[in-house]
Amino acid sequence: MEPAAHKQADERAERTRELLRCCRLCPRECGVDRTAGERGYCGLNKSVRCFREMVRDDEEHELNPSHQIYFTGCNMRCEYCTVAEWNEQPWSAEEMDVEDMVARIERRRKEGAKTLNFLGGEPTVNIHGILELLGKIKAEVRVVLNSNMYYTSMVDELMTGLADVYLADMKCGNNRCAESLLDASNYMEIVKQNILKAKKHSDVIIRHVVMPGHNRCCLRPILTWLAKELPEVKLSLRGNYIPPAEAISSPKEYLRPEDLAIALDLAEKMSLRLIQ
Amino acid sequence: MKKKFYKRKPGDFEIRILNDGRVVMVAPDETLLEIGQLLRSEIDVTLNEMETGEHARIRNTEDN
Repeated sequence: MEPAAHKQADERAERTRELLRCCRLCPRECGVDRTAGERGYCGLNKSVRCFREMVRDDEEHELNPSHQIYFTGCNMRCEYCTVAEWNEQPWSAEEMDVEDMVARIERRRKEGAKTLNFLGGEPTVNIHGILELLGKIKAEVRVVLNSNMYYTSMVDELMTGLADVYLADMKCGNNRCAESLLDASNYMEIVKQNILKAKKHSDVIIRHVVMPGHNRCCLRPILTWLAKELPEVKLSLRGNYIPPAEAISSPKEYLRPEDLAIALDLAEKMSLRLIQ
Repeated sequence: MKKKFYKRKPGDFEIRILNDGRVVMVAPDETLLEIGQLLRSEIDVTLNEMETGEHARIRNTEDN
């Protein structure tokens, strides 16, 4: 993010606060007035809340060390989400103190963080908070939007020129799995469209957490689509699926190392650009 | 009797010890990561979002 973009972020933050009066930031299109305290599917009103802020070394190598800011609230209900409690009760975290967070961002950057990474929950349902932060940061930072990519075109417009990297979490390869695992029956068309849009103006890393038993229905369709539409895009296949304690639709077992090896092999055979 | 699972609440930590001896930390924060690093000097711990995809077995001193 160029220093000149900070002013742009500030202006967009103002515009976004207006959009919250009838929220259609995500495809749920709840239309609630978040500024009046109403909450839609994501459970958020106008407050922006963060439940964690830390520097990690285990994102994709090129992003590390990465300063992660975790926002509460999400527009999906992934059964296997490892931070589901913060999405189900987004109001449990403290409201973000913008000045304090800006100071933390500056400090973390000085300490060596290479990227500023917005995640959650889903960061884009907190986009007004992200834009406000970006408007106040003085330093040049590499901004990563770690998103499920399930948002309307407004979000793409608001983040164009501000997010350097879209770390796009592509979770499923078909709508039936998306409906049962994520509660998003129109997932595929929206996510594909948003990834293609993001690629036009930003660097994109597609991340897919390989799920046991979802090779044919999810892994293969995702890889096939990438090979056809975005063969040059960076792809990160991860083997860290954690089954939920009480799995109903999700796989009940952990991914075996050999299954990850099969996935990596398949991606290589399709000449995809694997990164670690 | 139906087994009732504990549902995590905001602020909870979750550490799993699997049947095969693997230790899994779910979405660790900084504190849990530090604990994981300390444990690593004694045992191999699999941390959620740490990217090996391989779940190493705890090196139990009794096994050695």
